[in-house]
Amino acid sequence: MGGTQKALLRLATYVGVPFAVIGVLLLIVDLGVPIRFWHLLAEFDAVSAMSLGTWILFVWVAAGVIMIILWNIDLFIPSSMSIERTRPAVDRITGALSWIAFVLGALLVTYTGVLLASSNQPLWAASALVPPLFVASAISTGLAVVIITALVGRNQAVSRTMIARLSEADAIVIIIETVILIGFAIWLGVSAMGGATEGLKLLTIGTLAPAFWVGVVLLALLIPLGLELANWGKEIKGRSVWLALAVPSVCVLLGGLILRAVMVIGGQV
Amino acid sequence: MAIAALVDITKCMGCRGCQVACKAWNDNSGETDTRNTGSYENPPHLSASTWTRIEFYEFSQNGEVKWYFRKHQCMHCTNASCEAVCPTGAISHMGQVVVINQDICIGCGYCAMACPFDAVHREPPRGTARKCWFCLDRLSNGLEPACVKTCPPGAIQFGERDNLLATANTRINSLRNNGHPNARLYGENELGGLHWLYIIDGPPSQFGLPESPRLATSSLVGQWVGGLITAGVLAAIPFWLLFRRKRQLEESRAGGEHEWLAGDHPSGSTYGWQEWLAGPSSPSSWLTASWEAHKRPSSG
Repeated sequence: MGGTQKALLRLATYVGVPFAVIGVLLLIVDLGVPIRFWHLLAEFDAVSAMSLGTWILFVWVAAGVIMIILWNIDLFIPSSMSIERTRPAVDRITGALSWIAFVLGALLVTYTGVLLASSNQPLWAASALVPPLFVASAISTGLAVVIITALVGRNQAVSRTMIARLSEADAIVIIIETVILIGFAIWLGVSAMGGATEGLKLLTIGTLAPAFWVGVVLLALLIPLGLELANWGKEIKGRSVWLALAVPSVCVLLGGLILRAVMVIGGQV
Repeated sequence: MAIAALVDITKCMGCRGCQVACKAWNDNSGETDTRNTGSYENPPHLSASTWTRIEFYEFSQNGEVKWYFRKHQCMHCTNASCEAVCPTGAISHMGQVVVINQDICIGCGYCAMACPFDAVHREPPRGTARKCWFCLDRLSNGLEPACVKTCPPGAIQFGERDNLLATANTRINSLRNNGHPNARLYGENELGGLHWLYIIDGPPSQFGLPESPRLATSSLVGQWVGGLITAGVLAAIPFWLLFRRKRQLEESRAGGEHEWLAGDHPSGSTYGWQEWLAGPSSPSSWLTASWEAHKRPSSG
């Protein structure tokens, strides 16, 4: 097997785990009583999306940290000790952990949408498309992070061609995300749930409209999609790399953040 | 014995004695936000320290202007959304009463988002979620809730739920026969049965009540399935594109170097990380192996 995919796995883990930890810390700070955050780990309730999400996040981060440690096991043992005999066992453990992280990663990107949808706020609960919308946004922003990190880090294990393929993949994800967003808006418009239509108006013509149209529609969807389609299948060299690969990814990241802000704030208005 | 309270909106005169009694008994502070919002309603909304309040409803019915008052507080649902979503188990039923354990609540605010009646709130300085607890301390000592005790016109009754339902139906029949054809009961079956029942004179939406309140977690399985299917489909796209590219490269090289995309790099060299990266089976390596097996011609 080529090492490129493993490089991608490592790149995603090295970037994803620290950001996840930062995100968890911010969530803890946002609690009404932050010092009691450990109560989340004293209870497991599969019906509560927040409880389930906490455990998914906890195990995913733990798996990621162990994988990072095992990948760098040489740094943690004395130079006089040889780990060559135990290398196969270490490799098997990291392999198993990457499977666990793969499954939990899918649950993790789904969890935030389910968390919002399992409520009685019309913007979040009136349609069944909030989880798919957040999943599409998460995968698009995830690809953007990997692309930016690979470009900025000049990671030799991830070729420009591979980055270009990831950018093409992002274009397809954005097209699907756009379809889901349109479906979400239509669903809100026809929903019988009280407040759903008002939620749609808030996003499209209300106080959140500038953020929605500029931040979500343009930054997260149309601009990166246009740039990615314009460079589809082309050989990207020299300085055009930044316009063709980095700019759309930065737009996707900013737009993804604004999508979440618009949805979370809009649901509570 | 299931306990409940019955509010007869047609008797309420909007004196707000219940608000005062609630504040006094539960030692809740006054609101600082007392701006005039164009209504005599005060305070403007429920909060972590205002557990009940009288809402004003004015509308035209059969050519007449109607002005009603509805007491708003936690409904103590049988199927309570706040309890279902609470991640720490802080919210539970004690009999028919839904209570929040203030020692366990972490103040995440999820219950506030899940309540279909906007009855739970989380605010500083405590930070925990707080709401009406049906004066459980009074109930356990054989007393009525403070708001019931203080209601001057007897618009709120407290007692056995079955008895209150019978009382409500008698009262509704009387109202219907005396110029209130739209009189109806709210709360008998909603969310498995509420423990605050209302006699209302019109559709629920006219009194700020949801027509069909839903349990926040009622679509949980469908939401997970929908999200995971999307995740599966979208996560497959990058792999599909990368493998397709790999196949194209290998076909064009017809037996050339196996190392994936090595020749694509401007330097044409193998990459520094690749030795370091050689290692165990992983989802990505499994997909690669699956693809290799798939495109390998059958040996017959």
